[in-house]
Amino acid sequence: MEYIIKNGIVYDPTNKIEGEKKDVMFKNGKIVDNVSSDAKVLDATDKLVMAAGVDPHSHIAGPKLVVGRLYRPEDSRRGVKPKTATTRAESGFSIPSCPATGYRYSRMGYGTVVEAAMPPLEAKHTHEEIVAIPNIDIPALALFGNNWFTLEYAKDNNVEDLAAFISKWLKITRGYGVKIVNPGGSEAWGWGMNVHGLDDPVPYWDVTSREVIHTLAEANESLGLPHSIHLHPNDLGHPGNYETTVGSMDLIKDISKNSPVRDQTVHMTHIQYHSYAGTNWRDFESGAEDISKFINKNDYVTCDVGQITLDETTTMTADAPMEFDLHQLNGLKWANKDIELETSSGIVPFIYSGRNSVHSVQWAIGLEMFLMVNNPWQIMLTTDNPNAGPFIRYPKVISWLMSNKRRTEMIEHGEVHKAVGRKSSLATLDREYDFDEIATISRAAPARAYGFTDRGHLGVDARADIAVYDIKPNEIDPSNEYETIECAFGNAALTVKDGQIIVQDGEIVSTKESQTIWANVQGIEERENEVMKKVMPVFDKYYTIKFENYLVHDHYIHNPIEVNIQAGK
Amino acid sequence: MTYIDKPPVPNVVKFDEPMATERNKLEVMLNTGSDIYQGACKKRGSTLKDEYRHVSGTAYMDPRDMTRLGVKNWDTVLVKTDWGEVVVYAAHSRDAPHEGQIFICKGPWANVIVSPETYCCCDPTYKGIEATIEKINKEPLLMADLMAAVYMKYDKDAEKTTNRLTEKRINVGITKPEE
Amino acid sequence: MAYEEPIRDYDELVENCTCAFCGCNCDDLTYLIKDGHVVGVRHACRLGASKVMEDMDQRLLVPMIRNDEGNLVETDWDTALDKAAELIAGAVRPVFYGWSETSIETMKHGIKLGELVGAVLDNQATICHGPSLQAVQNAGYPVNTLGEVKNRADMIVYSGNNAMNSHPRHMGRYSAFPRGYFRKRGRFDRTIVTMDPRYTDTAKMSDIWVGFEQNGDYEFYNAMRAVLRGKKLKKDVISGIPKEDIEELVEAMKTTQYGSLFFGLGLTHTLSKQRSIDIAINLIQDLNKFTKWNLVPMRGHFNVNGFNIFMAFEMGFPYGVDFSRGYPRYMNGETNTIDLLTREEPDVFMVIAADPGAHFPGGANRHLTNIPVIQIDIHWGPSTELADIVLPGSFIGVEAAGTSYRMDGVPIYMKKAIDKPETCRDDEWIVRELHERVQKIKGEKIASK
Repeated sequence: MEYIIKNGIVYDPTNKIEGEKKDVMFKNGKIVDNVSSDAKVLDATDKLVMAAGVDPHSHIAGPKLVVGRLYRPEDSRRGVKPKTATTRAESGFSIPSCPATGYRYSRMGYGTVVEAAMPPLEAKHTHEEIVAIPNIDIPALALFGNNWFTLEYAKDNNVEDLAAFISKWLKITRGYGVKIVNPGGSEAWGWGMNVHGLDDPVPYWDVTSREVIHTLAEANESLGLPHSIHLHPNDLGHPGNYETTVGSMDLIKDISKNSPVRDQTVHMTHIQYHSYAGTNWRDFESGAEDISKFINKNDYVTCDVGQITLDETTTMTADAPMEFDLHQLNGLKWANKDIELETSSGIVPFIYSGRNSVHSVQWAIGLEMFLMVNNPWQIMLTTDNPNAGPFIRYPKVISWLMSNKRRTEMIEHGEVHKAVGRKSSLATLDREYDFDEIATISRAAPARAYGFTDRGHLGVDARADIAVYDIKPNEIDPSNEYETIECAFGNAALTVKDGQIIVQDGEIVSTKESQTIWANVQGIEERENEVMKKVMPVFDKYYTIKFENYLVHDHYIHNPIEVNIQAGK
Repeated sequence: MTYIDKPPVPNVVKFDEPMATERNKLEVMLNTGSDIYQGACKKRGSTLKDEYRHVSGTAYMDPRDMTRLGVKNWDTVLVKTDWGEVVVYAAHSRDAPHEGQIFICKGPWANVIVSPETYCCCDPTYKGIEATIEKINKEPLLMADLMAAVYMKYDKDAEKTTNRLTEKRINVGITKPEE
Repeated sequence: MAYEEPIRDYDELVENCTCAFCGCNCDDLTYLIKDGHVVGVRHACRLGASKVMEDMDQRLLVPMIRNDEGNLVETDWDTALDKAAELIAGAVRPVFYGWSETSIETMKHGIKLGELVGAVLDNQATICHGPSLQAVQNAGYPVNTLGEVKNRADMIVYSGNNAMNSHPRHMGRYSAFPRGYFRKRGRFDRTIVTMDPRYTDTAKMSDIWVGFEQNGDYEFYNAMRAVLRGKKLKKDVISGIPKEDIEELVEAMKTTQYGSLFFGLGLTHTLSKQRSIDIAINLIQDLNKFTKWNLVPMRGHFNVNGFNIFMAFEMGFPYGVDFSRGYPRYMNGETNTIDLLTREEPDVFMVIAADPGAHFPGGANRHLTNIPVIQIDIHWGPSTELADIVLPGSFIGVEAAGTSYRMDGVPIYMKKAIDKPETCRDDEWIVRELHERVQKIKGEKIASK
């Protein structure tokens, strides 16, 4: 089947197309440069056309999510929608059910979402949920930062074995990349402790976060994985943590990139939570300036923001000690899940409110990061769903970014606490994003950071993942018409996934099975076998599950997209 | 594999206890739950057999209570609650002492006498039910007979009683006279 | 106990099989197979072995339908499935109960069928750990995987649970006895506490037995919490336990390095129901201010947790999900099987891989005599005595492969070791067939209008 999307205003930063009126054509699920006269015409005259969105960091599938849904029926009851002829019933607001997750991303014109944390022991669970989510392709990042084997290798600075271990474990879990969460801290939580800063040794293991990050980054580059290390540094959410954040970025400056498909050697995730100055919650203030200065100077770093959306949401992270602190702070019900030899995690509901000074400053810090990092290729749109807010708020964040007027209104009309004026410089920033920059932070840059060459742009041979929004970029004034912007980005006029029309006029018209994207490293099988000889005795002794039953079998991977990598090339 | 017909329980020790006076009926607290013999028999699937009647249809009692009631291992007793009555075996509990408490493994026998009341919490009250226990000269029914006698689903002549909570007393366990 | 000769006469060994009994999901079983039958099991406990070495006398082998005389008569698959589909398609308030002893793959078809006809889907949690899940929703859910207990825990508490009887390998494989990374000497490095009114087999293996009074669980935990928070107890004896003992126990729990609480139906089935768990969870949360504590509910069936997880990711609610209004609804005391049955609401009841006949109070089962009951199971059990249509399934983890979730949420792929009896069908196939047939009937109805 051939299609032609006619006369849209196309923004495709990867191919340097900035608001050109042109047709987008696709055939058999791929973008093509010409179609026959039989092609079905989809009229998009003067409407905004972009590649489908790519979300670089979102928690949408896996054991944490299920704990959230199990223990927060009050959240599931928000956002209940009955089934229709094409869709199943939906439920949930911050932690939607799997079908709802797929539909809602499609309605926003998204096509690919990265699940940001997959504990290897429960990887099968994550993949089961990926299969249950329709419409979007989902790579999952496996957690390595607190894995006992990693800690051992990092202590010995054994990069070669660690690389083989990572390569093997990505095969076992069908993971896409290396996620590091509070390195050392989640292991310390095994004893109810945490580590503070980069040089605080992990109890018993006698290795520091600095060593763990550096060794993992080296191993990542020696394999040449399509994504860099994906780092959630230590001290999340602590006043004064910006120094740790800068230190974490700085410590990998000596590592050279070993992959042509991406630009960075480290991706800093939800940087908003890591850009705090001050010493306690009373003198807490923005540290965004130092962080953005560092990022502006160093092009080996990319980041996503984790923008606070001022909603009632559910925080969930593998940074379990932080979640316990949060529970102590807000007194809401605390869930925790420690996973043997690998990680821990925690969940706490959270109500971000514009009336609260700290939450308001957090909100401002996120926006500061967006506005103070100069190169949009280095910063990406996320809410660390659902931690800082549910992903369905992306359109709202876009409207804030495109309208200084709206931001000023929020500050001046008291929609956020007046502390924003004192403790951040947001009010002084009048930068407004244009459509090209929006397309960069929500599509092109995330795709680049993950080494996806087949999506995030509209070049020939890319997947036909396309979004059309019902706004006329040449006519609209986003600064004043921010509500129209929010509405349009939330209800795509057309979402196409692999050539299939999923959404029309904000409604789901068809669904398709999602696909898992995983990285298969080839060429070091012998090395892997050597490493496994040493790993297996430890595995048999300390895990409570047999290795045969630990593997993610093909049974769980419906229709995968396998990214083959030659190790070290 | 050896199947045991009855769970091994210690023999009742006759206590030389001055306080023990014989009674015809004891007021006790009924707990239900599971033990390993019941679990193994049920999940193996041997529910139609005599073994199941012994592992599931047995009230495990404190030996002092047994002395008072004058029953020994594998004698039969009648247990009554607000919800019904059923004939089961009595046996010395492995978990004794727990005077004033009896334990019957979950199963069709216990079901007759436990409370279906959930207090809006989805879970019936299976434990901590007030009951009386007395000696009786009847035999517990085998599973299939018990199901037929209690529920009478395919007994056209049976007068169906309702189970509305206002009329809690459902069809009591019908007991078989000893041959 | 008589000595039994080891089994030497077998054709092949299948290793790393997963036990389909309790929530321990031991995945290290070895099946001894001869002529397509399991003739022996290694590593399993008494419960697991007895289930795997099933009683073939009572195996359901062919579909059956109840005739006018009230007898089950054998029939062919088509007739049985069509009859069942007809009943389900015509039902106003169907309830599909069970699921905990079948695979996630089967549930996937079950939820489709449930959504199609507007059924209530519920599982065994409704009669066992339902209150635990409600407590989790009230108070939180600090859990760990069992390997954390094995590697780190130096204090293990069993409360209202007789692990030696209901989860026989739990202590040996995950908690008390195994040698863990930080607990190299196994049992000697750990303190085991059992809190139970009865001196159970588990209590007999423990270092400390706290025999609080029947129904005294809430008060006892509350007292512990008060002591932990530095309060003085005003009564000398609380729930039958002297206050000095409570203080000593709290001190021990506070100064431990890693503690783990396992709780069972002893807490959920008493009168205070979910409130006893609430307070236990709160106690664990308070303990975390001093040291590390976690808890794990001792789930009974091998996939009871799986159903809760599955329903949560598909529909946002763990159990008792009502689709009758076209969207998922979950109201405790309203959309749960026992409450529905005592209110006499359902008009068709499908029981899959469960046994209400053996486990529901008579007051609830009574309604099953008024309505048609469809049973999908492997053995003739108490529920078969109430069933009108019987569809023989297959044995997950032995005759059919499938996914299950351990009590701590670890997913396990249970592999297939032997072929099922020729005349049986996989649960997955049966439910899929029912779904397709109901879809066809519904389609015809719409077409005829």
